[in-house]
Amino acid sequence: MLTKKLQPVQSFLSLVSRSVGHFPRQHYDVIVVGGGHAGTEAAAAAARLGAETLLITQKIHTIGALSCNPSLGGVGKGHLVREVDALDGLCGRAGDWAGISFSILNRRKGPAVWGPRAQLDRQRYREFMQSELLSTPRLTVMEGSVEELLVTDPNPEQPGQHRVNGICLANSSHPISASSVVLTTGTFLSGSLFIGQTTSPGGRIGDAPSSAGLSHTLRERLGLKVGRLRTGTPPRIVKDSVDLSLATLNPPDSSPTPFSFMNTHTRCRPEEQLPCYLTYTTPGVERVVRESLHLNCHIQQDAKGPRYCPSIESRVLRFPGRRHQVWLEPEGLTSDLLYPQGLSMTMPPDVQLRLIREIPPLHKAEIHMPGYGVQYDFVCPTQLSPSLQVKSTQGLFLAGQINGTTGYEEAAAQGLWAGVNAGRRALSKPPVALSRTESYIGVLIDDLVSRGVTEPYRMFTSRAEFRTSLRPDNADLRLTLKGFELGCVSSSRHQKAVRVKNSLQDALAALQALSLSTTSWKRKIPDVHVSEANSNMLSGIEMLQYKDVSFQVLASIFPEVLLPFMEFSQRLKIEAVYRPHCESNKREIQRIQEEENMSLPEDIDYLSLPVSLSQEVREVLHRARPSTLGAATRLEGITPAAVVNLFNYVGLNKHNSGCQGERKRRRTLEKTKTRLR
Amino acid sequence: ILVIKCCLFQGGLADADTIFALSSGYGRCGVAVVRVSGPASATALRSMAGHRLPPPRTALLRSITDPLSGEMLDRGLVLWFPAPHSFTGEDSVEFHIHGGPAVITAVLQALGSVPGTRPAEAGEFTRRAFQAGKLDLTEVEGLGDLIHAETEAQRRQALRQMSGELGHIYRDWSHKLKRCLAHIEAFIDFSEDELIEDGVLDQADRSVCDLQSQIEQHLRDERRGERLRSGVHVVIAGATNAGKSSLLNTLCQRPAAIVSPIAGTTRDIVETAVDIGGFPVLLSDTAGLRESADLVEQEGVRRARERVQQADLTLLVVDSTCLPSDVQRAAGFLSEHLRNMCLLVLNKSDLLPETQRQKLKMELRGVSGLPAVCLLSCQTNEGLKDFLTVLQSSVKTLCGDPLAGAPTLTQARHRAHLQQCVAALSQFQRYRDSDLALAAEGVRLALTSLGRITGRVGAEEILDIIFKDFCIGK
Repeated sequence: MLTKKLQPVQSFLSLVSRSVGHFPRQHYDVIVVGGGHAGTEAAAAAARLGAETLLITQKIHTIGALSCNPSLGGVGKGHLVREVDALDGLCGRAGDWAGISFSILNRRKGPAVWGPRAQLDRQRYREFMQSELLSTPRLTVMEGSVEELLVTDPNPEQPGQHRVNGICLANSSHPISASSVVLTTGTFLSGSLFIGQTTSPGGRIGDAPSSAGLSHTLRERLGLKVGRLRTGTPPRIVKDSVDLSLATLNPPDSSPTPFSFMNTHTRCRPEEQLPCYLTYTTPGVERVVRESLHLNCHIQQDAKGPRYCPSIESRVLRFPGRRHQVWLEPEGLTSDLLYPQGLSMTMPPDVQLRLIREIPPLHKAEIHMPGYGVQYDFVCPTQLSPSLQVKSTQGLFLAGQINGTTGYEEAAAQGLWAGVNAGRRALSKPPVALSRTESYIGVLIDDLVSRGVTEPYRMFTSRAEFRTSLRPDNADLRLTLKGFELGCVSSSRHQKAVRVKNSLQDALAALQALSLSTTSWKRKIPDVHVSEANSNMLSGIEMLQYKDVSFQVLASIFPEVLLPFMEFSQRLKIEAVYRPHCESNKREIQRIQEEENMSLPEDIDYLSLPVSLSQEVREVLHRARPSTLGAATRLEGITPAAVVNLFNYVGLNKHNSGCQGERKRRRTLEKTKTRLR
Repeated sequence: ILVIKCCLFQGGLADADTIFALSSGYGRCGVAVVRVSGPASATALRSMAGHRLPPPRTALLRSITDPLSGEMLDRGLVLWFPAPHSFTGEDSVEFHIHGGPAVITAVLQALGSVPGTRPAEAGEFTRRAFQAGKLDLTEVEGLGDLIHAETEAQRRQALRQMSGELGHIYRDWSHKLKRCLAHIEAFIDFSEDELIEDGVLDQADRSVCDLQSQIEQHLRDERRGERLRSGVHVVIAGATNAGKSSLLNTLCQRPAAIVSPIAGTTRDIVETAVDIGGFPVLLSDTAGLRESADLVEQEGVRRARERVQQADLTLLVVDSTCLPSDVQRAAGFLSEHLRNMCLLVLNKSDLLPETQRQKLKMELRGVSGLPAVCLLSCQTNEGLKDFLTVLQSSVKTLCGDPLAGAPTLTQARHRAHLQQCVAALSQFQRYRDSDLALAAEGVRLALTSLGRITGRVGAEEILDIIFKDFCIGK
């Protein structure tokens, strides 16, 4: 335990010495701006790919800080963590290191929607991230504030096309050049903080605001369309002042399930885990909100709020007369604070105190730090390609809240993918995209770049069309081998994934080969009601599809064949149950993939395209500029006819270039012939 | 190009489905073309038109039979286009069949029973042709408008054409299903963190159950709506010289068929469209049924019998002056074709004395197993009014009254989508307790099927409902 605790501290010291001892180089392959969830994943991924990478952050000791809730994962978000981990990202392993309360949400709703989740120790999460980033080869971490983004003037050949050259730091006359720059500025882009009627510039309390230069470059020089979003965080509450006996205890899983495919157990031992507590709002809460509305800048500016309710104010205003859940979550193993999930608020601190004391367990609670709201700029993500590169600026990648998303996991997923593509660009490799048919990361990015956002985008499992195929259990099978080909997965993880894949294949083949008559199965497993209608032979896989038949049961009947696969018993059960449904998904998946492989030229002028399209459809396409036919299909207002016509156009264009060449060649030939006569 | 595998154990991607559709226009026409494209085309052709595949791209006259029952549906030309030399670049088959709606529907239904086939979606043949690179430049240029007509416009038009009430019902189902799915999705995505009201799932259970039985009931309409849309097939049959052609002429109020005292005047089928009390009826006069040495007449009789088999309603015409023996023959004929709806028309009633007329009416009404009987004289139009009333009510039963009760299906395509919808809803029930994700998948599939009629429902619409109905925090 002691050595484990010491390890990050040692790393941390050498990290400081490194950034102090070596003056930074003048050129990097990739520069990542920001050390939050997107930035850390982006920097680590680019470095894993082989790119010489620089991570610039305001304060090294806030790298890996959890600005808001002390938890990771959940339904949909847990899927993202598993996928980031399958691509060898950091957040899954960080969660296993820092988690102090693990549970699988939706346990009774089917494995496709299980939500692995953990409460985190903030300190441990930072430790892990900082030590991990330091020990990453080819990655330099530096404190600093980026003053300006260096971009070329538009290319006269391609109007509106810029290229990024590097960055300029505040208080430094030396620019640092780079092939790719990844911006992960979170809430810091023109960020303002709100408490009560007070407004101050900044992206997080206690941190300096980012420079206005960056925002200016994005808007004015690059002409990017920018929107404004809001978020907020609840007050932190002194644990000793809370009467937890008045709240409902919500214990974690007795046996923690790690996030990472590489871990068999979590750092926190099962018995060390801390519980969460559940309580509810009262009519008094609603009263305080209503009484203090005139003191609440953030809420008054709620011109066009999101459809869901990020703050307690919007909860009680939108759904009056109801009670709302409040979760009291631990902030760490040794922390004196509690995090009241569901009580994000922006009223003046004294009113915040009045409000929380309307909730029974909090009737004597003290506030350690008040809640506050943040408003910040985001870049409309339809201006990005699926590699997360800004379409109009080569080499500039954006990830995280700057793209209009909310959540650590959403940020980490984008960060990783932007890092992969930034690294690939620096290494002169073509951009890569993940399909929404193979991953939640693909769904996330496709939704962002093809539909854009009107409210902070959060992942839900209902966004994934192929939810039954994109499960948390099989993220490694879906992504690790691919990630290895792209260079962002270590060989040890790759080897493990290959072994898992082969074992599962062998086990399923063995199960398939176990073909017995219904009667024989009934004799062997008398407790299970085997359908009489199936008078023919049933395979082991079909038996495993029965609710009450576990792999263990089958293994006890056929130990010589199945015992070697016992470590995969849960995964095999899931594979067997979901197999027929994944099969029936295949046709649709194939169709979507075909359409995704048909790219629409970036410079297409939809308003004058000589194709039969309605004005309405033209405008939708003009605004969204989908990068593939598949993305166009999913746009609102696009008719099947429009898709077919676009389909024609893509085909036509291919033919056209070929035909023109042919025509020209023939014409030349004819001319030559005439002259010879 | 990314090679993507969703599920590792699925091996290679499955072959595309085989699709089929009526490629000529709908409605009464001489010849209709039904096109099939995809890997199961050859199987479809073999199972419906003889085990030997015809030579490629050669029209052959074949009997077209139902692959399950072996029942003959039509005789028509079949063409076999092995890949890649076809419109779509895939194995393709064309059936050139008689253009009557009953024949078309029967052939489409038969195709649907061939494993691996499904009705084509709008524009799908053209789409496949593009995918295979089969359309050249000029064709592509000319196709824009045409495709437009084939796809969205057609769907909209179909929706508009549906009686307002029918469209309303489908939209109502779609709305209910959407809400149902939204609540299930809310339960899946948020119930662990947020307060989702108790009983959300129970309500979804009830909605799914309700919808399923409503759609099933809607499907059990015995094709009334489709008949209403494309006409009821009424066939006039009976012995020679019973007055069948006279009846046809009386009903269509013009001399459409040649009438003479010579037995066997009508040898081929004479078709004419009439309006019976506002319902479209396709009336066929057939050759009189008798043994004959004449080859032409034999063929006429064969056709008459075949037509009776396919009819929605048969008008069995009997010369009431030769009744005693003829009634028996009629009964025999009837028992042969009892599966069809039938009316017994006793013609030439003017030649009978009044007393016998009354007696006949009384006696025949009492005989069980006999259909409705009408005494009629095509000569004097005596009894015509009563006969028309009976005929009209029969036709009405066959079509269903579009104004009373639940509206009925008007298109075979809708039927296919609704059947898929019902099947998908039973997936919900199968998995409701064991795996909510798979259960929800059933509702999603059901909504997709229904969406093929009423328009697509996207994830954002579902989220809209979720956020409207539930308080979902950060």
